[in-house]
Amino acid sequence: MRFNDTYCLRQGKWRNLTDLVIQKAIAGLRAEASRGYLGVLWWIIEPVMYMSVFYVAFAHLLNRGDENFVIFLLTGLIVWKWFHATLNTGANSLMANAGLMNQVYIPKIVFPLTNIAVNTFKFMIIFVLFLFFLQFTAVRVTWVWTLLPVLVLTQLLLIVAVTTLIGSIMPFFPDLRVILDNVLMMFLFLSGIFYDIDKLPTNVQGYLMLNPMAALIVMYRKILLEGLPPDWMQVFGILSLSVAIMILAVWILRRFDRIYPKIVF
Amino acid sequence: MQNMRENLTATKDTKILSLDHVGLYYSRRQGFLKRSRFWALQDVSFDLHSGETLGVIGKNGVGKSTLLRVLAGIIAPNTGKVEVHRPGLRFSLISLGAGFVPFLSGRENATLSGMMLGATKKEILSRMDDIVAFAELNGFFDEPVNTYSTGMRARLGFSVAYHLDPDVILLDEVLGVGDEAFRYKSTAAMKERIKSEKTVVLVSHNVPLLREICDRVVWIEDGKTAAQGKVSEILDAYLKGIVHGAKQAT
Repeated sequence: MRFNDTYCLRQGKWRNLTDLVIQKAIAGLRAEASRGYLGVLWWIIEPVMYMSVFYVAFAHLLNRGDENFVIFLLTGLIVWKWFHATLNTGANSLMANAGLMNQVYIPKIVFPLTNIAVNTFKFMIIFVLFLFFLQFTAVRVTWVWTLLPVLVLTQLLLIVAVTTLIGSIMPFFPDLRVILDNVLMMFLFLSGIFYDIDKLPTNVQGYLMLNPMAALIVMYRKILLEGLPPDWMQVFGILSLSVAIMILAVWILRRFDRIYPKIVF
Repeated sequence: MQNMRENLTATKDTKILSLDHVGLYYSRRQGFLKRSRFWALQDVSFDLHSGETLGVIGKNGVGKSTLLRVLAGIIAPNTGKVEVHRPGLRFSLISLGAGFVPFLSGRENATLSGMMLGATKKEILSRMDDIVAFAELNGFFDEPVNTYSTGMRARLGFSVAYHLDPDVILLDEVLGVGDEAFRYKSTAAMKERIKSEKTVVLVSHNVPLLREICDRVVWIEDGKTAAQGKVSEILDAYLKGIVHGAKQAT
């Protein structure tokens, strides 16, 4: 496939790009809110339903219903859901916009970023509500909580990188969808959401902590439940990994910028 | 007529873009791990000059729409070259209602659609009054677009695209939008735009329209440039070809 380098008319307009992502995200959220009777309430009800499923399964059926475990479980679930929901919709973002990208030229990164913006907004609502809810438990706010934005931003960068990468290769291999669903389910179990990785044998711990989501969840719990600062080496590691993935993803998107509309329709 | 001829001479040697033996295929999935290629364009070459109105004529399915998408920079050709002589110009394929979101109002969709066509939010907001006035939506502008009729949607889409004022307008048969009155109005508006210094590429089967507003015509046949040049010559040859083909068929 040949590529016309001379034919890059609208590059370097990062401001316009950000504006477009925000505008599209707001449009998506508003459209979503005006569908159905409950509207914006769904942004709260849906996550609560999602978490209730796990709460019933683990706290009641497996009889681990003490307050500490509930907080422990919810922290993991909320953080995981952000990652999972974004990747789930973002992976399809290019295919979902096949009609649009054949009508107007839009830098393809806009599509995954829009999905990420929408899901990040929804996560923020739930996360803030959760922090508020914690005030009614035995959990105490400490100065360490001021480090939360560092973790949230680290996770955001990881999500942006992974979602953009998967989104960029999905149009070439639509069959990946099935694999992705199952890999995501596997990571739901490998990320230490329902159990404490620290209580597993040390040799297993080493493997599991290679998963950035597992490491992040452990760090969120450290801050929120134990008042301990995150492991800076791990934060740095996740950031570097994300940047590397992002460079690859952006390269792919730019390389096939004017090829995608031909293969998705 | 006088006006156009002046334009033509004035814009000699002001190439803004040239297509050089451009070919493009779509690959389609065909059963298990099998793909087939469909060449929509095989060998298309022509130059686009600043300020001219270039007509592209050809039968259905000869790759006219694909050609416009190549010109708009939406898709890259597989063979040949597209050369832009003046970078930074805004090429806009006028497509009606690109990316309209059904549950949002006409106003919100106009903003969104305009931004996707490459304008900044500020530009669009400053032209919103003109966009509303031109689209003639009479109070429906703040209603969701899924309550619109097809004609209303098309009018809004056209109005947004028209008021964004791109440097090069790429038109795909959209002059036939809406009811009789709006069609007349949009055609008139487009013609006015065309007579000004705007560069326009117009794809159509409408021979009288092309005859009226184009400075030059390119004839595409089976993904290849069959002929290009003077409006009257090419269109006459095209019509003759069609009549000939119809006679052969009967």
